[in-house]
Amino acid sequence: MDMILVGFFGVVFLAVALYSIRVRQGGWRWWALAAIVTLLVVGSRLSESAWPRLLLLEASAFAAAGLVWVTGAPAASRAARLYLWLLIPAVGCSLAGFALAGGGAAPPIFPIARIAAGLLIVGFGLKLALVPFYVWLPEVAEHAPPMTSALIISVVDIAAFAELVQLRVASPWIFTDYGIVWMVIALASMFGGALLALAQKDIKRMLAFSTIDDMGYLLLGVVAGGAVGLSGAWLGALSHSLFKVILFGAVGVAEKGMGKPVTLSTHGLAARYPVAAAAFIAGALGIIGVPPGFGFVGRWRLYLAGAQHGGVLLVVAMAVATGLALLYFVRAIHAVWLGPADIGEPIAPRYRLASVVLIVLVLIAVLLGLFPGVFTWLNASLAAMAG
Amino acid sequence: MIGRASMSPATLPTLLLLSGAVLQLAFGRFLPKIAKGWMAFLLGLASFIAALVMVPAVAGGTVIESAWFTWDAGIQMAYRIDGLAMLFTLMATGIGTAILLYSIGYMAHESEGTTRFYTLMLVFIAGLVNLVCSANLLMAYLSWEVIGLCSYFLVGFWYRQRAAVDGARKVLIMTHLAGYGLLIGIVLLYVRTGTFIWSDPSLGPAFTTGIAVLMLVAAMAKSVMFPLHTWIPEAMNAPTPVSALLHSACYVKAGVYLVARMYSLAPWNHALGGPMLVIGCLTMIVGALFALVQTDLKRLLAFSTISQLGHIVTLLSLGTNLAIAAALFYTVNHGLFKGTLFLCAGAVQQATGTRDMRQMGGLSSRMPATTRVWLIAAASIVGVPLTNGFVAKWLLFNSALEAGQIAVVMVALVVSILTAFYMLKATSSVFYGNIPDGLRNAKIKEAPLSMRSGMAALGVLCLVFGIAPQLLMQTVVGPAVRSLGFEWNAPVSWLGLLTGTADPHVTVGAIIVLAALLLGFIIYRITRPRIRKTVMVFTGGDQPQADHGVGAADFSEMAGAAFKPLYRVNPDPAYIALWRGVRGTGVALQRAMAPALERHPLVAAGLLALATLVVVWVV
Repeated sequence: MDMILVGFFGVVFLAVALYSIRVRQGGWRWWALAAIVTLLVVGSRLSESAWPRLLLLEASAFAAAGLVWVTGAPAASRAARLYLWLLIPAVGCSLAGFALAGGGAAPPIFPIARIAAGLLIVGFGLKLALVPFYVWLPEVAEHAPPMTSALIISVVDIAAFAELVQLRVASPWIFTDYGIVWMVIALASMFGGALLALAQKDIKRMLAFSTIDDMGYLLLGVVAGGAVGLSGAWLGALSHSLFKVILFGAVGVAEKGMGKPVTLSTHGLAARYPVAAAAFIAGALGIIGVPPGFGFVGRWRLYLAGAQHGGVLLVVAMAVATGLALLYFVRAIHAVWLGPADIGEPIAPRYRLASVVLIVLVLIAVLLGLFPGVFTWLNASLAAMAG
Repeated sequence: MIGRASMSPATLPTLLLLSGAVLQLAFGRFLPKIAKGWMAFLLGLASFIAALVMVPAVAGGTVIESAWFTWDAGIQMAYRIDGLAMLFTLMATGIGTAILLYSIGYMAHESEGTTRFYTLMLVFIAGLVNLVCSANLLMAYLSWEVIGLCSYFLVGFWYRQRAAVDGARKVLIMTHLAGYGLLIGIVLLYVRTGTFIWSDPSLGPAFTTGIAVLMLVAAMAKSVMFPLHTWIPEAMNAPTPVSALLHSACYVKAGVYLVARMYSLAPWNHALGGPMLVIGCLTMIVGALFALVQTDLKRLLAFSTISQLGHIVTLLSLGTNLAIAAALFYTVNHGLFKGTLFLCAGAVQQATGTRDMRQMGGLSSRMPATTRVWLIAAASIVGVPLTNGFVAKWLLFNSALEAGQIAVVMVALVVSILTAFYMLKATSSVFYGNIPDGLRNAKIKEAPLSMRSGMAALGVLCLVFGIAPQLLMQTVVGPAVRSLGFEWNAPVSWLGLLTGTADPHVTVGAIIVLAALLLGFIIYRITRPRIRKTVMVFTGGDQPQADHGVGAADFSEMAGAAFKPLYRVNPDPAYIALWRGVRGTGVALQRAMAPALERHPLVAAGLLALATLVVVWVV
């Protein structure tokens, strides 16, 4: 699975890099930090020992904060500072929690187990921007260049989430003994993220809340556990990664073309940026699990895990939260992209390479949704290669 | 009897349609619009022929099974074509092909987006075929949402127009949200049985009323059942072939398929049949009443679809052998006459540039072929003998009488009268009377050949299945009824006369009706006035001046005044209130969270972390 994740991060970085050639995100320091972030994450996933893996992962988060900082804009610097300040306790709590938990299948003695679980919940809550610890993500998403946010969410956050999945397998007691706390955080993230997304006017900020919302779903799969829950969470994380690059990429094209942020007061962008509009619509519907996008492959498993773990009520709650997600995404699609265009907007420049990147990513997302069996095959092949 | 095949003809209709979509995407940039249209039509036709090839086997009781590929771990994309799947496959590919033929001429004027249009149309039809043929419930859900997406993109085809995209948004929101009922139902069935295969016998005991209700909610939104019907009139700002496909074969009928397929899972209990019967009857009435007050031709037809779908769901809810047969016969034939009506409406709109019936009139002199086809379809929906609509209504009344549901008979009778009213209004407003000043000097001409051919193909079938319904009954409807576990040997003869279970008085009644019609026709032939350029409309007294005929507005105002209190039965305000409530909650949450989290984020995060640690300690 790690090999697939590494390959996935490679694709994401390649897409971000190609996109950023035409839609400039920053100077050489941005490029260097973007490469460092990806390399650290890839190194982390390739490490077999726990501590090097964790340390590389935490280092990638700090590099990501630097990525926000190098933009140079005052608002971006403020967001980077906030991210950095919250990363410190997040990393501290995670590492301390890991150390106390011991990485074993059985819980350590009282009260160490409780302290470890508490620290891990806070640490991952901060890193993954779960409710109520989400505050840094909307700030970063709003003020950082779109591909910076995409890298943070699609690579750094997803790698941190993969670590959580690994923890679920290695030390299940953290999730079974404290399942209620995880579950409350998951549901709060799902509903809180969705409702707060509905209240946003800035599209990038709304996308940040959609990540918070989606992380709630993924966490629910981890809490439910079992083959269905974990595979749902894992596939859901991959699809989230892919779709977030598409969504931020689409917004980035319009933002670059207009020279101002995309908000709900911007109208009819599809007339000027048809590829970006199509990519945004595909990304929005795909990320909430509308078939035949890749998102459905993880989403149906998560529904099944929800039904197995919490019965009808939980699965209905999940559907309601997805309904809310549909509402905020459709609101954005119809306010910003579709419909008559604003009068007086300048003619849009063409970002051909960025458009090609978006089209290829959408195609990948649809093909993976139509033929998700490729993962079964890929996993078996990689396992065979590993001997 | 089960016939198994791998990559067999069973998958051919879908493959042909999908390959057409791929070809459109690959070569659309290089091909002229007409060529793209012909390519789509020919692949649609090939798909229809491929479906027809399977009819003899399925009519003989064979269930064709075919495995495609492993979609996901342990989940096969496989087909199971029984009578019901065959019926819907034929309907989708057959009517879809006629609509694609019509589209060649219709889309020839479109300046951009024709590749997108034909691709989506082909995927739309393939989606319905995949839905009805899927052996696997999860794959059926996938197709369910694919057709939902296709309708969203097609209704919003003119994406720069506010009305079009607003209609598309309503389609997506209302049908996709309700669609979660189907997904939850499927997931719950899997949790209880461990299978997604709908023909698995273990599904029967697990198919509880709760699961059935969840699935019905999804079906109701798709098949425009009251109160989830309000999206369809708003979806009328789409290209007409889209409206035709949406209404006749490939969208609203998905819900009908689901309701019918539920009989394959388990017999319905009374807790379900009773409420569905009420919903069906309400839908019939609401659709017809709202159709009466429309002055927009396509909106009138949209409300008529609501009413007609009410007929079908009512029949399915009756649950007798004859009622199921009537429902399935009605399904196909509604597809035929409603498809025809929409195609004619599209030709009229393209010729006049308007859908407003108040601005139309006298088009029979300029568009005689379209008028003739319209008249056949209009007669059909009203239920005039010799048309398929008559047979469908005939079977409906018989079924309701046989089931002892007199209330259903009364409702259907009243709705039939209303249907005759609004169709008469549409026909007289659009095709008869004088051509209004606004159109008098306009270059109104008959639709191009491909459009007329598409319309005529469906119109002719309305007559064929009206005169010889047994053609459809014995080969398609009968096997479909039997595939749902009902015993029915299609005892239907010429003109829809029942030769089996019906009481003698029904047949005597039919003969009287036919005799009366024949007599009427003879009297008409003897006394008919010489042919005039425009047709006079009888207004109940002295003939008015030529420019004071009864038009769409008069009808609408009359109906609006007569049924005023009933027009308050509109669920949209409730949906608006729901949306405002949800959005208001989001805004309130933002206001509550912002002061603490956004102004003092570090303090807030520290306190929350502390609180979490305390909670973990206490739990």
